[in-house]
Amino acid sequence: MPGLRRITSVLLLAATLGSATFLGGTASAKDLFVVDLVNEPSSLDPQKQWNPDSYYVYRNVFDNLITRNDDGKIAPQIATSWDYKSPSEVVFKLRSDVKFHDGEKLTAEDVAFSVTRIIDPAFKSPQISQFNKIKSAAVTGENEVTITTDGPYPVLLAQLVKLSIVPKHAVEKAGDDAFNAAPVGSGPYKFDRWDRGSLVALARNADYWGDKGPFEKVEFRAVPDAATRLADLQAGNADLIVTLDSDQAKQLESSASAKVLSALTERIAYLKLNPTLPPLDNAKVRQAVAMAIDKQGIVEGLLGGFDKPASQMANDTYFGYVPDIKNVAFDPEAAKKIVEETGAGKTKLSFATSPVFDQRIVQALAQMLSDVGFTVEIQLTDMAAYLKRAQSEPAQQANLAFGRWSCACQDVDGVLFPLLHSSSSWSSLRDPKIDALLVQARNTLDDKERQQAYNGVAKFVADDVPMVPLYEAAVLYGGAKNLQWQPTANESMFLNRMSWND
Amino acid sequence: MPIFFAKRLFQALIAIFGVMTLIFFLQRLAGDPVLLLVPMDASQADIDRMRIALGFDRPVVVQYLEYIGNLLLFDFGRSYVQNIPVAELIRTRLPYTLMLAGGALVVAFGIGIPIGITLAIRRGKPIARVLSGLVLAGQSMPTFWSAILMIMVFGVWLGWAPPSGARQISSIVMPSIALGLLSMATFARVARTAVLDELEKDYVRTGHAKGLPMRRIIFRHLLRNASIPVVTVSALEIANLLAGAVIVETVFAWPGLGQLTIQAITARDFMVVQGVVLLGAITAIGLNLIADLLYSLIDPRIRMGAGS
Repeated sequence: MPGLRRITSVLLLAATLGSATFLGGTASAKDLFVVDLVNEPSSLDPQKQWNPDSYYVYRNVFDNLITRNDDGKIAPQIATSWDYKSPSEVVFKLRSDVKFHDGEKLTAEDVAFSVTRIIDPAFKSPQISQFNKIKSAAVTGENEVTITTDGPYPVLLAQLVKLSIVPKHAVEKAGDDAFNAAPVGSGPYKFDRWDRGSLVALARNADYWGDKGPFEKVEFRAVPDAATRLADLQAGNADLIVTLDSDQAKQLESSASAKVLSALTERIAYLKLNPTLPPLDNAKVRQAVAMAIDKQGIVEGLLGGFDKPASQMANDTYFGYVPDIKNVAFDPEAAKKIVEETGAGKTKLSFATSPVFDQRIVQALAQMLSDVGFTVEIQLTDMAAYLKRAQSEPAQQANLAFGRWSCACQDVDGVLFPLLHSSSSWSSLRDPKIDALLVQARNTLDDKERQQAYNGVAKFVADDVPMVPLYEAAVLYGGAKNLQWQPTANESMFLNRMSWND
Repeated sequence: MPIFFAKRLFQALIAIFGVMTLIFFLQRLAGDPVLLLVPMDASQADIDRMRIALGFDRPVVVQYLEYIGNLLLFDFGRSYVQNIPVAELIRTRLPYTLMLAGGALVVAFGIGIPIGITLAIRRGKPIARVLSGLVLAGQSMPTFWSAILMIMVFGVWLGWAPPSGARQISSIVMPSIALGLLSMATFARVARTAVLDELEKDYVRTGHAKGLPMRRIIFRHLLRNASIPVVTVSALEIANLLAGAVIVETVFAWPGLGQLTIQAITARDFMVVQGVVLLGAITAIGLNLIADLLYSLIDPRIRMGAGS
């Protein structure tokens, strides 16, 4: 049985290899800062994959062209300043004192390369939709890059906040795969090692040009189970953990060694209504849905008060937010009357959701709607099936769908355009007036004109109710008592904006 | 013997091929992972472009033939999410799963067998009552619950072991116990029954009549005979331990194949799921094959019976 022997020897070899990686050992004190993520990063190449578990890590390894400061304002990073040469051309002046971790200088070539790389369809970046209005990036002087867009594009800067600068020489030399396995950036932390499935280790970049990181070494570990993350934090096995729910946060509030760190994010939770199918094709019935929902009750009763009822599909960290907008008020009695008058309760309403969303909210919404006379059927599918249905033809979409939206750009264009413009696969609305406003706001650099258009859209959402904005979602982290850190709306985790009090 | 072996091997290959085909088509029934990969505000054109780039626009049969063709060249494909070869992913995770299964087997065997023997010999005594309670607990506690309980007690309150992860050698203790508990109960019950059966046999009475001490009867004679059903169960339990690690690995953040499987399934990372399932099928079928061969080596009657 030579085959059997071979299998045995392969297994033995594997076990030996395993025990070799196993004996990693740990450092002591606060030289080592441990973060529990849900999953390991999908990718450390910042242009390949874009999800929180990945960018929590790689945003510390790479610098971006521009960034947002703790107040949420767009701020210089590699670019020191920028000018519109024409409505579709922006000239960026770059820092000249930035070095990559391998000692090479970061040049305008690297910036142009980074843009060109991510917009190349052959590179297959899932992020391409965030940058596909960019036509080209060219070096136009020493420490100067000019980015040309396909017509005026007001959201360019907000999108460029997400563009990391990769070193041209390293990427070209190593190839995409090897670069992903051992990335080289210019950020406050250097890549140290990646134990697949277990952790990514970073080391402090002592030569960083900006604010240096407070910890010598940092480990980002993959801990899928929320209860285990909480136990890690309480046992001191981790110093910062992500993605708590409100019950777990309450548990931490009484802890002596740990605390809750929370921030309102740019994610807006909403209930989407399908106005192409009866009975929700009647604006009055849609208003009745809005009247039936007690946002305050959801936020306080279910979410522990960390979140905030939303008046529109944005919050005040967005461009395009309308400060004083009038919503349909919570009024179950009036809703009941409308449902009775219109006979809307006779039709069964399908309500699409997926396990990634908080099912308590979904059930509460269904209950509130039933209370005023609607007949609601919750339809739970996995996320991929949910997304597919949410993006199909309006008639195939569910009557109601729960969702949480973030464009990670803090500009309402990234929310309203995909959800309401008739060309978008997410939209079940077919309204030429709204289409015109959205296009107008997207194609001008005049902030006033944009705001005016968005005022119109926000008013439409409030009155006509194509969706009910529910709440501004909070992000809940657990941190060790000694950790000083203020989470931000864009859910970044910049280590060099943290500090540690012993 | 060679003909028997060749026949069995052929059957095994067909079974593996069947599993592979089934998982390939089942996964694709529910759509593709493209929508999970792109940001929420991606336009339809971007989604279509991504779909073409990953090859999901082609007929499923074409994708299947390509997959089979690559498999014959030992190319297991690439992860859509992590962008690295599946073989590489599995290679880094497999040692952890093997270690955990090994640890669990030590727990199951090392505790289960002595308990089983004690239960049989001390039947009706107080110690047997206590131990059978333990076996019952091992069998009835759901893993996700006993695992969390252990983490709270030993990881957080007592601080004896790290609550999760795989950074220290001591990290393996709790997951091994959590995973091994159910198998421990199985081993204990099988060993108890086997020993009880043997206790009735003539040779035991003869031993007593000869004046042999009980200890000697059990360790010299009885255990050898009682070991046959235990060996049979072992083969099944090893396969179970490898497969049952999914929950334990998730709760303890143990970076093995089980955790990888869950992540791959939720992300619809087809190639990774296929790779893991293929490995699981090969392991299960391989273990069965080995067990069959062992039987026929031990007992020639089984070999002849298999020909029919």
